[in-house]
Amino acid sequence: MADKMELNEVEVWDGNYAAAQALRQAQIDVVAAYPITPSTPIVETYGAFVANGYIDGEYVMVESEHGAMSTCVGAAASGGRVATATSSQGFMLMVEVLYQASGMRLPIILNVVNRAIASPLNVRGDHGDMYAGRDSGWVQLDAFNAQEAYDLNLCAFKIAEDVNVRLPAMVHQDGFLTSHTAQNVSPLSDDEAYEFIGDYKAIDEMLDFSKAVTYGAQTEEDWHYEHKAKQHRALMDSYVVIDRVFAEFKEKTGREYKRVESYMMEDAEVAIVALGSTVETAIQAAEELRENEGLKAGVVAPRCFRPFPFEDIQEVLKDVKAVAVLDRSCPMGAMGALFNEVSASMYTTTSRPIITNFIYGLGGRDFSLEDAKHIFREQKGHADVGYITTQIQQFSGLRGPKLGFFESKRSK
Amino acid sequence: MIEIRWHSRAGQGAVTGAKGLGDVVSRTGKQVQAFALYGSAKRGAAMRAYNRIDDKPIINHAKFMLPDYVLVIDPALAFSDNITENDKPETQYIITTHLDKKELIAQIPELQDKSERVYVVDCMQISLDTIGRAIPNAPMLGAFVKVSKMFELEDFLESMKRVLAKFPQKIIDANMSAITRAYNEVK
Amino acid sequence: MKGVLPTDRRGVRELGAEDLVGWDEVTHGVVLNSFDGIVEDVAQVAPEERPYSDFNSYTATVASWRVIKPVYNRDICIDCQNCWVWCPDTSIISRDKQMLGIDYDHCKGCGVCVEVCPTNPKSLLMFAEAQEPEDALAKWPEKKKKEKK
Repeated sequence: MADKMELNEVEVWDGNYAAAQALRQAQIDVVAAYPITPSTPIVETYGAFVANGYIDGEYVMVESEHGAMSTCVGAAASGGRVATATSSQGFMLMVEVLYQASGMRLPIILNVVNRAIASPLNVRGDHGDMYAGRDSGWVQLDAFNAQEAYDLNLCAFKIAEDVNVRLPAMVHQDGFLTSHTAQNVSPLSDDEAYEFIGDYKAIDEMLDFSKAVTYGAQTEEDWHYEHKAKQHRALMDSYVVIDRVFAEFKEKTGREYKRVESYMMEDAEVAIVALGSTVETAIQAAEELRENEGLKAGVVAPRCFRPFPFEDIQEVLKDVKAVAVLDRSCPMGAMGALFNEVSASMYTTTSRPIITNFIYGLGGRDFSLEDAKHIFREQKGHADVGYITTQIQQFSGLRGPKLGFFESKRSK
Repeated sequence: MIEIRWHSRAGQGAVTGAKGLGDVVSRTGKQVQAFALYGSAKRGAAMRAYNRIDDKPIINHAKFMLPDYVLVIDPALAFSDNITENDKPETQYIITTHLDKKELIAQIPELQDKSERVYVVDCMQISLDTIGRAIPNAPMLGAFVKVSKMFELEDFLESMKRVLAKFPQKIIDANMSAITRAYNEVK
Repeated sequence: MKGVLPTDRRGVRELGAEDLVGWDEVTHGVVLNSFDGIVEDVAQVAPEERPYSDFNSYTATVASWRVIKPVYNRDICIDCQNCWVWCPDTSIISRDKQMLGIDYDHCKGCGVCVEVCPTNPKSLLMFAEAQEPEDALAKWPEKKKKEKK
């Protein structure tokens, strides 16, 4: 029986340590990992927990991230609770197996500590890896600080393992900005946390020898399409379970999560839509603008990147005049992915606010309060005249001549 | 909101110092943030760590700050790094050096109009004497306690003991004397 | 086509002839059950007695692919199991190390079993698919004499 750990009501943890503690409390059967910066401390800390008798499960060192996720798939198909962590290049090497995991409906939890993708090599935070996972069939939850990295891990197990979901889930946090930033975190006790997550219920586990099953069957055009459609439906419908788990979590802790978080949107005229730690910085900028300049600014943040909260975005942005959607990943030859998705949501409404796109923070480039305020003010400019006064896609915080693309063809 | 910027070399314990400070401050009921900017930097590379302290939750994740305190724990960085970056009129500097304050300021033009805001302490010598290694983070915390007047020394030492609880008693004791000595010696 | 044993469910349908169901009815995670229901200690249950599910390829036949087939002659066979070991389609039916015959629902007529048969004459020989087994057995060759050196 694993030892329990006494935790203080308030701890000062960084995002990695918070995630590792949540994984420990989940009492996972198998963690297979190939550590990579900035996610290394998650599995390093977890390994120490195993070695020191705080976990009954297995910690498997493998030869690559492809091997890590493959081991997770095998262990999950065998019938165990399974998790791991990765970042950036490691994530890219896992991608092939991510699709296997979701296609086999294995509720693996993957902590993705977001980091830029080479080349050029960079260990800092941007959302390139998170975006690379967006078609992989996983639930993707996004934490904006260390407390949320802890909370969302607990929720992720409960969401992924629900009999109506049975899909793997990623918990994202920003490399360094969240993963290596220590802040006040209020954890649950080991018993409370485990009770919230519950025992793992295996489904179609390969280690049940009385019910032999095949995982990873081949299907051609006669079956493949139906299976993928069913999987897509499961992910689309998972919002019901996500909402329920968030409600139960609030009941337990008082901390409220929504698939789309919104701040000061009740009367907002302009808004920033963003992901990650940027959300909080933008909130502070909006607060200061409201106080000092009377600018009615608000912030919208998809807590749940997948399933994408299409209708919730429609609802929360319906009365806004101008929206800036911030993508922390270089879209390389297109508009930002978050911009495209938010725009698609709003295009199918009658309000159709002005929407522009900012690329920012690549490779960990600082995003300051002043950067956020500049974006808000620019939105106010669009709102006042009723059309887009800048290029539609701009680069924030970039050295050199101003870089931007495309003009609006909408009539004033 | 109080903002602190540490100037350090990777391996000198600025990250541990910033996190330790955050840990202690959180025990007074305050909200804290401790982070650092480093990555693949090798031991000895110049780096910076940061603290924010406030009564309400800290949501600013930018590294950009107008620091209230600049803590320099590597003697050479006082000369080579831009320690007065984003200075404001009330920014206070605690610099580790074997020089006395006058000698130090004479050699750093940027500090010449800020001399009443500059404090010096020899964290290197103190850590060598007490801990036995050049780990200047603990003495810097002692100097910070004195300069900031944010805590009583006794309370700080008590909290620090709890933060260090996982270490052997010998190490805890050494850190306590390092903090106390720097508290008494900072000028 | 039925199997050689009365309980055998092999060959119940042609491959691909199953009812194609909609997306809402396909299995969860493409997980395929080998058997219908619970089967304890499956290794001790003879293949023809296992409740293979329709998802198991055991229940699909590829027999019509074959143009020549092996015919088995019990009178000559020494139950050496060579054919059982070598058959790439597990189409040699053997029980307690005694040869029972050929699984014609899965045999593709490759002839490996004939190649590896050590008896003289061989206990397995290839005949045209349409040839009745009785006629084939009636044409069985005599034992070959060793050539003098």
